[in-house]
Amino acid sequence: MILMILFHWFFVGLTAPFLIGVIARVKALVSGKVGPSLFQPYFDLIKLFSKQCVYSHGVTWVFRISPAVTLAAMLIVCLLVPFGSLKAPVQFSGDILLIVAVLSLSRFFMIAAALDTGFSLEGLGASREAFFACLSEVALFMCLIALTLLARRMSLSGMLGADSPLSWNLLGPALLMVVASLFIVMLAENCRIPVDDPDTHLELTMIHEVMLLEHSGVDLAYMYYAAIIKFFIFGAILVPIILPVQTIFPFINTLIFAGGMIGLAALVGLVESSMARIRLNRVRNLLLIAFALAFFGLIVTLWRGAL
Amino acid sequence: MTTWIDAGCILIVFFALIILATSRIVGMIRIFVLQSCVLSLMPLFLHAEAVSARDVMLSLGTVSLKAALVPFVLFWAIRRISMRTEVKPLIGVGASIVCGALLIAGAFWVSLALRIPGRPVTDLGLPCALATVLLGFMIMVTRTRAVTQVIGYLVIENGIFLFAVSLFDAMPTLIEMGILLDIFVAVFIMAIVLNNINEEFEHDPGGESRAKMGETF
Amino acid sequence: MESFLQIAWPVPFGELALKIDPLSLVFLCPVIILLICAGAYGVGYMRPYWGKRPLGAHVGFYLLFALALLLIVTANNVILFLGAWETMTITTFFLIIFSDEKEAVRKAGFLYLIASHCATFCLLIMFFLMAHFAGSMDFTVMSKVGFPLELAGIIFLLALAGFGVKAGFLPLHVWLPYAHPAAPAHISALLSGVAIKMGIYGLCRVLWIVGILPAWCGYMLIIIGVICGVMGVLYALGQHELKKLLAYHSIENIGIITLGLGVGLLGRSYDQPFLAVLGFGGGLLHVINHSLFKGLLFLAAGSVISKTHSGDIDQLGGLAKTMPVTSVLFLVGALSICGLPLFNGFISEFIIFFGLFQGVLALPLLGVIFSVLGIIALALMGALAIACFTKVYGAVFSGQPRSIDSGLEYSKTVDETTSIWMLAPMIILAWLCAWIGLAPKMMSGITFLGGACLARVDLFLIDMSRIYIPLSTTIGIAFLFSGLILGLLVMRRFILGAEPQPVREAWGCGFTRVSVRAQYTASSFARSIIDLVKNILQARQYGAKAGGYFPLRARLASSVRDVSEDMMFRPLLAGLTRLSRKIDARRVLYTQMYLMYIFLFLIFLLVWKLR
Repeated sequence: MILMILFHWFFVGLTAPFLIGVIARVKALVSGKVGPSLFQPYFDLIKLFSKQCVYSHGVTWVFRISPAVTLAAMLIVCLLVPFGSLKAPVQFSGDILLIVAVLSLSRFFMIAAALDTGFSLEGLGASREAFFACLSEVALFMCLIALTLLARRMSLSGMLGADSPLSWNLLGPALLMVVASLFIVMLAENCRIPVDDPDTHLELTMIHEVMLLEHSGVDLAYMYYAAIIKFFIFGAILVPIILPVQTIFPFINTLIFAGGMIGLAALVGLVESSMARIRLNRVRNLLLIAFALAFFGLIVTLWRGAL
Repeated sequence: MTTWIDAGCILIVFFALIILATSRIVGMIRIFVLQSCVLSLMPLFLHAEAVSARDVMLSLGTVSLKAALVPFVLFWAIRRISMRTEVKPLIGVGASIVCGALLIAGAFWVSLALRIPGRPVTDLGLPCALATVLLGFMIMVTRTRAVTQVIGYLVIENGIFLFAVSLFDAMPTLIEMGILLDIFVAVFIMAIVLNNINEEFEHDPGGESRAKMGETF
Repeated sequence: MESFLQIAWPVPFGELALKIDPLSLVFLCPVIILLICAGAYGVGYMRPYWGKRPLGAHVGFYLLFALALLLIVTANNVILFLGAWETMTITTFFLIIFSDEKEAVRKAGFLYLIASHCATFCLLIMFFLMAHFAGSMDFTVMSKVGFPLELAGIIFLLALAGFGVKAGFLPLHVWLPYAHPAAPAHISALLSGVAIKMGIYGLCRVLWIVGILPAWCGYMLIIIGVICGVMGVLYALGQHELKKLLAYHSIENIGIITLGLGVGLLGRSYDQPFLAVLGFGGGLLHVINHSLFKGLLFLAAGSVISKTHSGDIDQLGGLAKTMPVTSVLFLVGALSICGLPLFNGFISEFIIFFGLFQGVLALPLLGVIFSVLGIIALALMGALAIACFTKVYGAVFSGQPRSIDSGLEYSKTVDETTSIWMLAPMIILAWLCAWIGLAPKMMSGITFLGGACLARVDLFLIDMSRIYIPLSTTIGIAFLFSGLILGLLVMRRFILGAEPQPVREAWGCGFTRVSVRAQYTASSFARSIIDLVKNILQARQYGAKAGGYFPLRARLASSVRDVSEDMMFRPLLAGLTRLSRKIDARRVLYTQMYLMYIFLFLIFLLVWKLR
C-alpha cells in the first residue's frame, strides 16, 4: 500500500513536468521557432527549489502554508486517479467527491493567500478564480454525474479502470459531449489559453498567475509543481475516456496511456497556438457552454437509459 | 453506423446552441453553415447500406443551398447594408445558454411522451429535431436584429428537416425539394427587403435612423 | 433505544410526557453544547454592560429559553410541545431586543414575533388536524395511526409553512436577516445554531409521525432545499455586514439540510431504505455540524465586532495580526462551512452527496432528475460558499484596515482583548468541528440512528458498510493529507535552512506604497459573481461617477435587495394596511358596535355548532 502510494507519487512527480514541456514545444514549433528543451520545466523547478523565499510585509501564516496545502492537495488527488495500467492506490465508492473537495480546499487556500497580501492585483485574480471556479465546478459535477450514470458506479477507478464499461460504440454521442465538456473544464481549471494565459504576469486579464505574484523561491516551486500535477491529473482523467483501449499487456497499455497524454498535451498546445485568450467577460460563456455540453450528455445518457 | 447518426443529431443540436451563444452575426452564419453541412450528410448516413440516387441528390441539394447559397445571400445582405455585427440579444448570452440547455431537456422530456409510428433509425432523431426547433425559436425570440431572425428561422427549418429525414423513410423527394425552394425564396425575399430598407434610409439625412437600421423587420 | 418520562398533569389534554428517541438525541447534542458555549461566551461578552443594564432579566430569559429548547426536543405531547414552542418564541424575542434603545433592534424583534405567530397559527391547525384524526395528543400514539395520503399531504404543507418560518425557508425567512444582527453575539449564535434548527426538528417530528407521505413531498423538499441553498449563499455574497452575511448563510445551510431530508423522503417513498438513511442521516448530521460551525462563526464575529465596534466588512481588515487566535478560529469555522475536508462540514455534505449520487443510480427517472438537480445545486453552493468565505476572511482578517478614519486605532494594539470566557467556548466549538471532521464515526452513528428512526427502518437490516467504508477511507486520506502538509512544510524548512526568510515590501507588479484604501474590498471581490445573477438578486449600484481630470471624491455603493421581502411581503403588508384602513373608515364610533361584532360571532359559532 505504502509502496504503491510512493510509486504513484514518484511516477507523477517525474513525468508530469514533461507534459508542460510538450505544450511549450508544440507552441514554439507552430509559431516557427525551435523552442525550449522538452525538459525545461524540470530545470525551472530545480532553479526555484534552490532559491530562498522572500515574504512581503504583513503576510500571515495563511500565506506561508498555502503552497504546502496546494501541493499536498494535488498529491492527494493523484492517489485517487489511475494512470493507465497503474492502478489508483486508493479507490472507493464516492472518491470523486473527495477529489473535488480536496481541489476546493487547495483553491480556498490559494485565494486566501492571495487576499492575505492585501494587494489589489492579487485580489483581482482571486476574485476571478472564485468566480470561474463556481462555473467550472458545476460543469465538472455534470460530467461526473454523466460518467457515473454511464459506468453505473461512483468511483473514478471504476469509471476509468480496466473493466470499464464505457464504450464508444454504445454511448458514443453522450461520451462525446462529456469529453468536450471535460476538455473545456480542464483548460479553465489549469488556466490554459482560451481562459487564462499561463505565460503573462503583466496583464490585467490574468487569473492564476497574478495570485502567485508574491510567492517566491521554494513556495513558488510548490505552487508551480502543484499546477503541473493538476494538469497531469485532468489529463489522466480525460485520456482513458477518449482511448478506452485495453490489451492484456500492461506494457502496451502504459504506452497507449503515455501516447494519449502526450497527444493531449500537444492538442492543448495546438489550441493555445491557434486561439487568442478570449475576453474575460466571455469566459463565463465558455464555461456555461461546457456546462450545457455536459448537461446535454447527461440528458442523452438518461434518454438511452429510459428507453 | 448508428453512432455516427447519433453524433450527427447531437452535433446539429449543439450547433444550434452555439448559434444561440454567439454574439456576432458573422459567427452565427458560419456555425449555421457547419450545421447545414452535418445535416446534409444525414440522408447518406441514414441509408448507408444502400445509398440511392435520391439520397445523394437530397444531400447535394441541401449542401449547395444551405451551406453555400443562403449564407452567400446573408453575407451579401450584411455587407450591402453595412450594419454593425453585434447580435443585440434581449437576454444575456449566459442566460441564453442556460435557457437553451433547459429547452433541450424539455424537448427530451416531451419526446418521452411522444410515440412516433413506425420504427425510426435512431431514437435520438425526434428529441434532437424538437430541440433544434425550440432553439431556433429561442433565437428568433431573443435576438433583435433582422438577420438574426432569419438565422433563427433557418435553424427551425433545419430542425424540421432533421425530423423529416430521420423519421420518415418514404418522404417524397418532391416535397423535400419544395421545402428547400421555399427557404431559398424566403431568404431571398428577406435580402431584397433588407436592401430596400437600406435604400430608404440612405435618403434619410439624419444619422439617427441609420443607426437603427436593420434591427427589426 | 427510547426512554420515557411520564407525569400526569392537570392541564386538559396534556400530560408531562417526555421521550428521548434517536431523533431527539440528535437534536439534543447541539442544543446542549451550544447552550453551554454561548452562555459562557455571554459572560465575557456582556462584561461591558455590567452594572449598566439589568442583566438579571437577560440571564433569566436565557435560562427560560434553554428550558424551552430542551422541552421542545423531548416533548411527547402536543400541548407540551406547543407550550414550549411559544415559550421559546417569546423568550427569543426578549433576548433579541437586548439593545432595545436602538429602533432597528426593536423592529427586528417585532418582526420576529409577528412572523413566529403567523407560523404558530399554521402549527395549531396542523396539530389539531393530526390530533383529531388520531384521537390522541400523544406523539407516540399518533405515529402508530396511518394517516390517509391526502390528509398527510395537507399536514405536510402546514408543517412546511409553520416550521418553515422558524427554520428560515425562502421566502419565509424575512425575519432572519434582521434578527441575527440585532441580537448580541451569543444570542445570534443560539438563534442560528439552535433556534432555527427547532423548525427542522418540528418538520422531522412530523415526518416521523406521518409515516407514509405522497411522493411529491420529497420532491418539494428537494426544491425548497435547492432554492434556499443557492439563493441564501447568493444573498450572503452580496452582503456587507458580517452578521447579516452569516445569517444568510444559515439559510443556505438550512437548504442543505432540507436537501438531505428530501433525499431521505424520496428513499422512503421509493422503498430504498439505504437511500433514506443516507438522506436523513446526512441532513441530521448537518444539523449538528451547522450548529457547531455557525455558532463558532457568530461568536468569532462577535469578538471582532466587540473589538472594532464595526460589522462592516468593507471597513475592516488586518485583524489576523491583532486577533491571531480569533482569526484561526474563524478560519476553522469558514473551512467547515465550505464543506472542505479535515472539518465536519465535509462529512455531512459527503453523506448527502453520496445519497444524491445513490439516488441517481437507484431511483426512477423523475427521482434521477431531482437528484441531479440536488447535486448541481450542492456543488454550486459549495463553490459559492468558498467565494463568500474567502471574501470574508480576506476582507476582515487579511491585509490592512480599509477605513482610515475608524480603522487604524484598533490595528495598532496587538492584544486579543477577549477574555478567556469568550475564547474558551470558541476553542471548544472549533475542536468539535475538527473532531467530527476527523473522527466522524460516533456522531455519524448517532445521526444514522436518527435517520433510521425517520426512515422507519431497522438500521441493522441495512448494509451500512457501503457508507462507512468510503467514510473511513476518506478519513484516512484526510490524515494522510494533514501529514503531507506538515511534511511539505518541514521539507521547505529543510531546504531553506533555519534562518528566517527576508521580509520585504510587497512586489505587487511594482505598485508599491499605495494607500490602504486601494486594497481589494469585499464588494469588488464578490462583484463578478453578483453581476452574473444581478437580475435575480436585484443588485443595484449607485454612484461611482468621477468627473473631470483630477476627481477628488467619488462614491460607490452597492446593495442586494431581498426579492421575497421587497416583492412579496412589503406589497402584502401595504395591501393589508389599505384594507384595514378601509374597514377603519366604515367604523362607527360606538363601543356598542364592537359588542355587536362579538355578539354576531357568538351567534355564528352557535349556529355552526348546532348545524
